[in-house]
Amino acid sequence: MTSMTNRVAPRKGKPLDVWRWVGRIFLVLMLLYTAVPMIWMLLTSIKSGFAAMQFPPQWWPNEPTLASYQRLLDPTNSVGQDFLRFFWNSLFVSTATTILAVIVAVPAAYAFSRFEFPGRNFLFFAVLLRNMFPAVIFLVPLFILMRLLGLVNTHGSLILTYLTFGLPLAIWLLKGFYDNIPYQLEQAARIDGATRFKAFMLIVMPLSAPGIIATAIYSFIGAWNEYIFAYTFLNRNDKLTLPVGIQRFFSENTTDFPGLMAASFMMSLPVVVLFLLLQRYFVRALTEGAVKH
Amino acid sequence: MTTATGLADARLRKKAKREGILQQAWTRRADYLYVLPAILVMLVVIAYPIYYTVDLSFFNTPPGLQLRDKVFVGLNNYVVILGSDVVWRVTVNTVIWTFFSTVFSFALGLGSALALHRDFAGRGVMRAILIIPWVVSAVAASYIWKWIYHSDFGVIGAVLVGLGLAAHPPNFIDSVSTVLPSLIVVNVWREFPFAMIMLMAGLQTVPEQLLRAAKVDGASAWQRFWHVTFPHLRGVSTVTILLLAVSNFNSFIIPWIMTGGGPSNASHIWITHIYELAFGRQRWGIASAYSVLLFLILMSLGYFYVRALSSGDRKERGA
Amino acid sequence: MAHVVLTDLVKTYGNFKAVNDVTLTVGDGEFVALVGPSGCGKTTTLNLIAGLIPITSGEIAIGDRVVNDVDPKDRDIAMVFQNYALYPQKSVYKNLAFPLQMRKLPRAEIDRKVKDAARVLDMTHLLERKPRELSGGQQQRVALGRALVRDPAVFLMDEPLSNLDAKLRVQMRSEIKRFHQDLKATIIYVTHDQLEAVTMADRMAVMKGGFLQQYDSPAQVFAHPVNMFVASFIGSPAMSLIPVEARTVDGRAVLTGAEGWTMALSPLNARKVRNSTTKKVVLGARHSTIKLHRNAMPDAIPAKAYTVEPTGDVTFVQALLSGATVNISVPPNVVVQPDEPIWLEFDQERLHLFDGETEIALMAD
Repeated sequence: MTSMTNRVAPRKGKPLDVWRWVGRIFLVLMLLYTAVPMIWMLLTSIKSGFAAMQFPPQWWPNEPTLASYQRLLDPTNSVGQDFLRFFWNSLFVSTATTILAVIVAVPAAYAFSRFEFPGRNFLFFAVLLRNMFPAVIFLVPLFILMRLLGLVNTHGSLILTYLTFGLPLAIWLLKGFYDNIPYQLEQAARIDGATRFKAFMLIVMPLSAPGIIATAIYSFIGAWNEYIFAYTFLNRNDKLTLPVGIQRFFSENTTDFPGLMAASFMMSLPVVVLFLLLQRYFVRALTEGAVKH
Repeated sequence: MTTATGLADARLRKKAKREGILQQAWTRRADYLYVLPAILVMLVVIAYPIYYTVDLSFFNTPPGLQLRDKVFVGLNNYVVILGSDVVWRVTVNTVIWTFFSTVFSFALGLGSALALHRDFAGRGVMRAILIIPWVVSAVAASYIWKWIYHSDFGVIGAVLVGLGLAAHPPNFIDSVSTVLPSLIVVNVWREFPFAMIMLMAGLQTVPEQLLRAAKVDGASAWQRFWHVTFPHLRGVSTVTILLLAVSNFNSFIIPWIMTGGGPSNASHIWITHIYELAFGRQRWGIASAYSVLLFLILMSLGYFYVRALSSGDRKERGA
Repeated sequence: MAHVVLTDLVKTYGNFKAVNDVTLTVGDGEFVALVGPSGCGKTTTLNLIAGLIPITSGEIAIGDRVVNDVDPKDRDIAMVFQNYALYPQKSVYKNLAFPLQMRKLPRAEIDRKVKDAARVLDMTHLLERKPRELSGGQQQRVALGRALVRDPAVFLMDEPLSNLDAKLRVQMRSEIKRFHQDLKATIIYVTHDQLEAVTMADRMAVMKGGFLQQYDSPAQVFAHPVNMFVASFIGSPAMSLIPVEARTVDGRAVLTGAEGWTMALSPLNARKVRNSTTKKVVLGARHSTIKLHRNAMPDAIPAKAYTVEPTGDVTFVQALLSGATVNISVPPNVVVQPDEPIWLEFDQERLHLFDGETEIALMAD
C-alpha cells in the first residue's frame, strides 16, 4: 500500500501540473470536509456549556476546560456512573460478539473457499443476500422472538443478533483470505503426516491470522456502533450500550453540547484507535473479495 | 499464485454436475459440518422473522403486541399503504436519498483515491484522516453534525453570517426544503471513505506497463485515465456502487437521530418510516406489510447484487 | 523403498474420465516419469497415488499393501509440489522438521535428521531463513529436503522444476538424478517437459486424454513410438509428420506426396505400408535422419527451404512438404537461403510409418 509510485499522472510537461494542482486542491477540500466536524467536536467538548452557546461562537475556547470529560468519567456522580456503565456494556457486548463471530465464521468461510458441496453456491448467495436486507425488516418478529425467549433487556439479545447480522460479511471477508492460501500447502501437510483437521489448525490458521484479525475488527466495530437493535431491545438504563445511552443522555440534557461532544468523542475513540492500528488488515480484507489480483 | 491441482480439480468437478445431487451431497456430507453453525444461527434469526413478518402483515395486532388478540384483515394493510399519501412522499425521499448519497460518495471516493494514488509526503496521514469518518459511530456523527447545523449556535451558520453570505444562520435541518440535502451531506461524510478504500485497492491493479505504453503512444493524462485506468476500475466500481446503494437504502441512524423523519415527513425514508410505524405508533400490521413490500423490492434487486459480488469470486477461481 | 502398482486405475468426474484404466508398475528404486500435455491426467494420477483425491475404481498398491482407502499421511510417501508448497510462516528448519513432528519423533532425532538433510542438500546456512527469503532454486531444494527427511517408501514429484529458470532447471535436473542414484529411491515424477522425462527417467509413461499411451524406457519410446502422438510429443524439434499416399508403381510400394513426388520404400517399410488399413499413410522422420542436398539426387525429394534458424551448433532448416512442416538439421557451415530449392533424402532405416486413419505405428508383421 505504501510503496506506490506516481502512476496516474506523468512527471513532466504542462498538462500534468494542472492535474497535480487539481488533485492537491481537491485533497485540501476533502480534508476540510472530513476534519472540520471532528475538530469542532473536540473544540466544543473543552468549552463550558455557557461558552458553547454563543453567537458568534468562540472559534477557539477562551477558557478551555476538561470539565465535561471529568464529569463523564467520574463514577461518583450519576452522569459518570451511567456513562461508565454504558461503556462497559458496549465493551462486553462487542467483545462477546467478536469472539463468537470468529468461532462461527472461520469454519464456514473455510468450507465456502475449499469445498464444492451441492448447495455451496446457494448457501453463499444466501449469505450475501442477507447483507442487503435492512435490519428493520426483521425488527418486529425479532422483538417478538426475543420476548418469547425472555431476552428483552439482556445483552444476549444483542449478541445473538449482531452475530447473525455480521456473519455474512465476516464470512465473505475471511473467504477472500482462504482463497489466497494455496491448497497445495494443505496437501503437503497431509502428505507430511497431518490429518485434515491438523493441516487446517497448524498450517492454514496461522496463515489466515490477518484475515481473522480483520474479521474481528469488523465485528467489533459493527457491534460497538450498532444502534437500532439496541434501541429496540433494551430500555433499562443499566443495560444500555453507548449509542443508545448517549441518545438518552442527550434527550435529558438537550443543551449540554460540550457534554454530548465529549461523550461522542470518547465513544468514537476506541474504535478509531483500533482501526488506525490495524487498518492494513482491514482494508486488505475488505478489498480482497472485490478486487482481482 | 495458482493451485494447479486444486483448480483442475474444481474445474473437473464442475463437469460432474450431473452425477446426482443427492449422491454427491451424501458423499460430501462432512463438508456441511463446517457451515452448519452459520446456517443454524441464520435460520433462527433470519428465516423465522421473514416468515413471521409476512404472517403479521395480514393481521391487525394490538399496540401492546398481544399476539393472541390479532385480527385477520387479509390484504387490507397493503391497500391502506398503497392508498396513502405518505408512501409516495417517503418513496421519493428514499430515491433522492439513495441516489445522491451514492453518487456523491462514489465521486468523492474516486477523486480522493486518484489524488492519494501518487506518492507525496504525508500521504499516509492524509489517508488515515480521510478514513476516520467511516469508523466513527453513526450516532456520534449525527450528534456532531446536528451541533454543526444548529440553528442558533451552529458553526456553519456562523461562518456564513461572518462572511456576509447570510443575514442570520439558516435552518438547515428544521426546514422542509433543506433538510434532505443537509442529511445527505452527513451521510456522504461517513460513506465516501469506503468508496475511497475500494478504489485505492482497485487502482493498484492497473498495470503500470499499460500506462507507460499509453504514454509512449502520446495519450494525455486524461486520456490515460479514461482509456486505461477507468476500464480497469469497472469491476471494483460496480461492486462499490452496489454496496453503497444498498447501505444507503438501508440507512436509519442519521435521519432518525438528526430529525426523526421531520419536519413533516420531509426526511422520512422507507426504513425510518417503517420503524416509526412499528415502534412509534405500534401499527404492527402496516409496518409488517411495508416490510414485506420492501423485501420484495430488495429481492428483485438482490439478483444483480449477488451477481456483481460473486463475479469477482468466479473470476478468481479461473472458471 | 517400495514398488508401486497401479491396476485399472480410473478417476471420473461425472461423465468426464480424467484417468482411464491406467495400469502400470513402478519397480523398486525405479525413476518413472509421467509425461504428457496439460490435461492428460498425469497430475490427477499422481494425486490419486498420493491419496489427495479419492479413486473411482481400480487399485493402488505401494509395497505390497493396497492403499485405496489409506489416508495420505499413512501411505508412507513424500511429495514435492510444483510451487514447492513450503509453509510460509515456518523457517526452513521448521519446514523440514514438520513431517517428523507429525510422526512424533523425539526432538533429538528430528534435529539430527533435519541437519543431515540440510548437509546433504548443502543448505545448512539457510536453516533459519523463511521461505520468502530464499531464491527459487533454494526453495526447490528445501522442498526436496522436506521429502528427503522422511525417508519415505516413494517420492512423488509434481513438475518440481517448472518454476525455475532454464539454467537452474538443467542444474537441478542433474541433482535430482544424482539424488535418485544415491538413494536408490522410488520416484514418480510428473512433467509436461519431455526433455526432463527423457533425460532423467528409467522409464517414462506417456499419457494423453487420461489414457496411458506408451510405457517404456526413453530410448525405446524415442526409437519406437507406438503412435503419432507419442512420436510428435517426444523429441525436440518434434518429429516431422508428412501425410502421404501409399501406391504401387511397377509392382513396388511407393509413397506419393501432394506435390506429385514419389518415394521408393525399402522392403521392410514396404511390408509395413501393406499393413495399413487405408491408403493414407503418415511418414515420420526426425530432423537428424533427413539429409539435405543442394542439387537433385536420384532418391531425394524436391522441396523449398522456408525458414532457416542457425542455433550455433546446428542449423535448422524448415521446409514445406505435402502441407506439413519438415525439420531438417544441417551443420552450421551449410548456408541455405530461404526459398532456395533443396532436395531431401530420408533414411529408410530410421523412418516411421503410421496408419493415416488410426494414427498407430505400422508394423512389418
